[in-house]
Parts: sequence; C-alpha cells; structure tokens
Amino acid sequence: MDVLNALMAGFATAATPANLLWALLGCALGTAVGVLPGIGPAVAVAMLLPITAKVEITASMIFFAGIYYGAMYGGSTTSVLLNTPGETGSMVTALEGNRMAKNGRAGAALATAALGSFVAGTVATVVVTLFAPWVADFAVRLGPPEYFLLMVLAFTTVSAVLGKSTLRGLTALFVGLAMGCVGMDQISGAARYTLGQPELLDGIDIVLAAVGLFAVAEVLYAALYEGRLQGTQNAMGRVHMSLRDWRRSVPAWLRGTAIGTPFGCIPAGGTEIPTFLSYAVEKKLARGPDLAEFGRQGAIEGVAGPEAANNATVTAAMIPLLTLGIPTSNTTAVLLGAFQNYGINPGPQLFTTSASLVWALIASLYIGNLMLLVLNLPLVGVWVRLLKIPRPQLYAGILIFATVGAYGMRQSAFDLFLLYAIGVLGVLMRRFDFPTAPVVVGMILGPLAEAQMRNAVAIGEGSWAVFVQRPMSAALLAVVLAVLVLPRLLRGWAVRRMALARTA
Amino acid sequence: MSSQAPETSAGTARMQAAVAAGVFGCAVLLAAGAVGIPSNAGYGGVGPNFLPWGVAAALALCGVLLLREALTGGFRATEDPGGGARAHLSAGLWVSAGLLLNAALIGTLGFILSCTLCYWLAVQGLRRAAGQGAGSPRTWALDALTGALIAAPVFWVFTKFLAINLPGLTRTGWL
Repeated sequence: MDVLNALMAGFATAATPANLLWALLGCALGTAVGVLPGIGPAVAVAMLLPITAKVEITASMIFFAGIYYGAMYGGSTTSVLLNTPGETGSMVTALEGNRMAKNGRAGAALATAALGSFVAGTVATVVVTLFAPWVADFAVRLGPPEYFLLMVLAFTTVSAVLGKSTLRGLTALFVGLAMGCVGMDQISGAARYTLGQPELLDGIDIVLAAVGLFAVAEVLYAALYEGRLQGTQNAMGRVHMSLRDWRRSVPAWLRGTAIGTPFGCIPAGGTEIPTFLSYAVEKKLARGPDLAEFGRQGAIEGVAGPEAANNATVTAAMIPLLTLGIPTSNTTAVLLGAFQNYGINPGPQLFTTSASLVWALIASLYIGNLMLLVLNLPLVGVWVRLLKIPRPQLYAGILIFATVGAYGMRQSAFDLFLLYAIGVLGVLMRRFDFPTAPVVVGMILGPLAEAQMRNAVAIGEGSWAVFVQRPMSAALLAVVLAVLVLPRLLRGWAVRRMALARTA
Repeated sequence: MSSQAPETSAGTARMQAAVAAGVFGCAVLLAAGAVGIPSNAGYGGVGPNFLPWGVAAALALCGVLLLREALTGGFRATEDPGGGARAHLSAGLWVSAGLLLNAALIGTLGFILSCTLCYWLAVQGLRRAAGQGAGSPRTWALDALTGALIAAPVFWVFTKFLAINLPGLTRTGWL
C-alpha cells in the first residue's frame, strides 16, 4: 500500500499544470529529435542541461524524461518511413516496418509501433513502480566493494558486451575513464591532467562530451562523408489498423514487453539484444500467411514485438539508474549528469531522501506515455513534415544549439574549442567503428567508481582481497564474469536465428 | 557481424594502424602526466595516481592489440560506418572554420552574431558536400537570415526565460 500512496503523491506533484506543461514540452521535443536525423535523446538532454541552473529539479527531470521517451516514439517513425533507424533500438523496426511502408501499409506500421510502445512503456513503468523501491531497499545494504563491482559490471556490459568488438569497446571505455580523470581528484584534491588550465580543474563536463561526441561529430561526419546521401521517403497513408492487425499485434506487444523489461532491469542495458530476440521470437511463432509476410510485404508482428521490447527496455533502465545510480546507456548517463548538477547522486538513498522527486518522476512516466500516444497517433503527419527540413540547414542549426549547451554551462570560450576537439574525436571513432557509449559512461561513472574502489581498499586496510572476502561482492565478481560470457552466447543464438529466419 | 578478418585495402590498413598508434600515443601521454600526480594513499592502499597509471597501461595494451589487428587483416567485425569512401575535406574545413571562429569570437561578437556566422559557414560546407554548388549572393543572404532567425530566438529564450548567461554584443540584452 505504501507504494500506491507514494505513487498517488507522485501523481499529485506531476499533475500540476506547470509540470504537465514540462512533460508535454519534453514529449514534443523528444518526438522531434527522434524523428530528425543527426540528433538523438542523449544529445538533446545534454544540450539542455544548462537549464538545471534555473529550473527546479522535479520539473527538469520530468522534462528530460519526456525527451528520453519521446525520442523512442519518434525514432520508429523515421525507421518506418525512411528506413534510416535513428538508433540501434529501431534497427529491427526498420526491417519489417520499411517493407510494410513500401507496400502502402505505413499507417498500420506506425500505429502498431506507437500502440506497442505505449503498452510496453506502461507495463514497464508498473514494473519500475513495484520493483524500484524493492531494489533500493536491498541496495542500501551494499558497501563500497559491492558498488565498485556494480560499476565494473556496468562498464563491462556497456563496452565489452554491447559492441561488436570487445577490444574497440574497451578502448573507448578507457578513453572515457581517462577523460574522467581530468580535474581535481575527489578524495585527495590533487589536480590531474589539468595542463595548467584553470578550466580543466573542474574536469571535462558531461555536456561537452555528449554534445561533442554526438552533435558536433554528427555534423562534421555529415559534411565529410555523407553529403550525397539521398533518402527516399515512403508515402504515409492513413494511420489505421484492421482487426487482423490488432489480433496479430496484441500478443506481439505483450511478448516484446516480457522480453524487453528484464533486459532493462539489469545493468546490462542496451536495446540491441532484446529487440533482435523479440524479432526472432515473432518470426518463430508466425504461421502460414503471416510467416510469408516476413521479409516480403513486411509482417506487422516484426514491428509490434521489437518496438514493444525497445520501449520496455528503455523504461526499465530507470531501475538501475534510480536505485543504483548506474546508467546503462548514453541518455541515462546524461540523466545521471543532470542529477549531479543538482548535487544529487542517484542511489538507494534517493528513495528516502528525495522520495517526492522519484515518485513524481515515475508518475510522469505514466503521464508521458499517454501524452506520447496522443502526440504520435493523430499527429504523426505533423512530425513527418519535419523530415522536409533540408539537411545542410538542419545540421548547421544543430551547431547553434550545441553552442548553447556547451557555452551556457560556464561561459568559457575554452569549452567551445574543447567541444570541437571532442567532435573530431567522435568523427574518428565513428569512422573506425568505435562505440561512443562507453566513453560517456566511463567518463561519468569513472570518478564515482574510483572513489568506491579507494574506499573499498581502505575498508580492507589496503588489501584487495576485500573484493572476494565479502560474499556479495564475490557474487558480483562472478556475475561480471558471467556477463562477459552469456550475452555472447545469446547473441550468437539470436544471429543464427536471424540468419535462419532470413533464409527460410 | 562476422568475426573473421575482413578484406581491407592497404590504405585502410594504414589508417587503422595510425589509429592504433594514436591510442598508444595517448597512453604514453597519460603515463607522462601520471608521473606528476602525487601517490600519497592516506588510509587506503590506493592514491590519486593509481587510476591514471591503470588507464595508461590498459590503453597501451589496447593500442598494441589494435595495431596487431590492423596489421593482420584489419580491425575485426567492423560495420560500414556509412557515407562515402573518401572524405569531402573542403566541406569539413567550412564546418570546422564555423565552429572555431564561433569559439574565438563569441566573447566579442556576442552569441547571436557569432552563431549566425557559424551557421552560415557550416551551411556553405554542408551544401557543397551535398553537391548543391556554392550558391548565389541571394542564397548567401538567405542563409545569414536563417541563421539569425534561429540564433536570436534561442538567445532570447535562454537568457530571458531560463536566465542562462550568454554573451551579447551590446548590454541591451536583445543583441
């Protein structure tokens, strides 16, 4: 009953006119950045981080969560209509969704994507509501050694598991950790890698890293390599699902949700594996004429399932963020940065010290989902019009917003030069296929992990054995090792299934 | 997604080797910087120079392993990054000029003018990259106007409503 009361209090906070307006603004902005190429939720939130100086925390977190969610809805629109998935999560949606659109069924694909996202988002929010306090209760008992290993777990999953190459993922992670070392050491106050620049004493800001790696790098990359890219857009058609579409979509939504939610809950985020798994499952279960549509006219299950899985994962990723303070994706890493701007480190204590904030945020997830359904079903035509903005103007405009984000933090021209340098780094990483998420996660979690590690060793009176002597940390160490091995097996299985499914 | 070494051209191999060398170089610089960081560990056995040394060592190892991959058939399991095979360098220079001039001038010109300049230069580059040619004085004027029409409202919203400090050319708060 406690949970229900807390949630009701959360709704009371989230449903004030001002907060509802922030949620609406966030959802609309999120949908726009999801639809537009070259800009994603992580960078949109990062560019708007300076508002944390002025806007009250509950309002800004509701706003940022709206962007995070909205981008997922918007991303599926681009996948279906343009066959250019904005992020890995909508890659699978593009597979079947684009085929459906080519056969004049864009409307049905968009409808099942939006409704599936709604169902999955709502179910996963219920899971967050029920499980997050429980995880937080449990997490209070963790000490520095356990925390350190949890963060190592996040590092491992983000860098070694999710990418294509463990080596390049780890390289990116260490680059991020190195960037996180810049500035004053948290424990002793010693200056590290500041090169005599007073600006570097505070460290490299997460805004600079995210905006540089994603926005500036994207614009530079577009200029250098993607000038002549010509997309063809599919015709829209009426957003409508037939009875047969419904009958095929509903079970796929539920299965996608069931697959996606657990993947979000564990600090092994990333939507790649659950969406591919969901696609494989849908194809396996399809029979007769439904199966024949896969890979040909486009099967609606192949859009419904993965879209639901995607949203369920993204929503459930709030659990590790809020209860453990561990981000598992670019956007959740930037959200963690937003909390830090307010002097709050998410963790198990958040549920006691900032209960009203947490519950308002959770309540806003329910509200946001509903808003997004309304924004995306009847209004999808409006968003599609955004795709008509010519690319040169769009990309150049992104630079203006990047300047606000980077310069607005502390009005230093030095930051703008650094932003450019990080942008160039991002271009190189993209060109040579290094993942960028490990850099951001490493940069933001690195200093926290280092502090936990040093505290842990101090607890062990200088002995590293502290990590294996405590049962919980020893178990976590085992999990880290398992996480390195298991997803590889799972992925191999999913890839084989996909290959089989394609040839069959 | 295959884990076999892909067919790579000699040019790609050279570039990849250069990237690997760059990673190794970063590690060396990190190590050089780590020498100057104090090691006093206090109560624990670990001081502020521990992580820098660890990261430097790990990056050095990554650099060596990347170099080995580059020299033995190229980076493993790479995916096509998308876009053309060759860089459109002049377009990149236009965009870079926009960003760097913006950084250099924002304090003197103010946010609106500096960002308009950045926008204008970037559009020139991006338009050339798209093969749309250099444009005419009319399109240039239109670009400048578009840039100002994006930059000015952004400036006003952020300074007036959100009270974020952005530099102006004048003290009026509107330009």
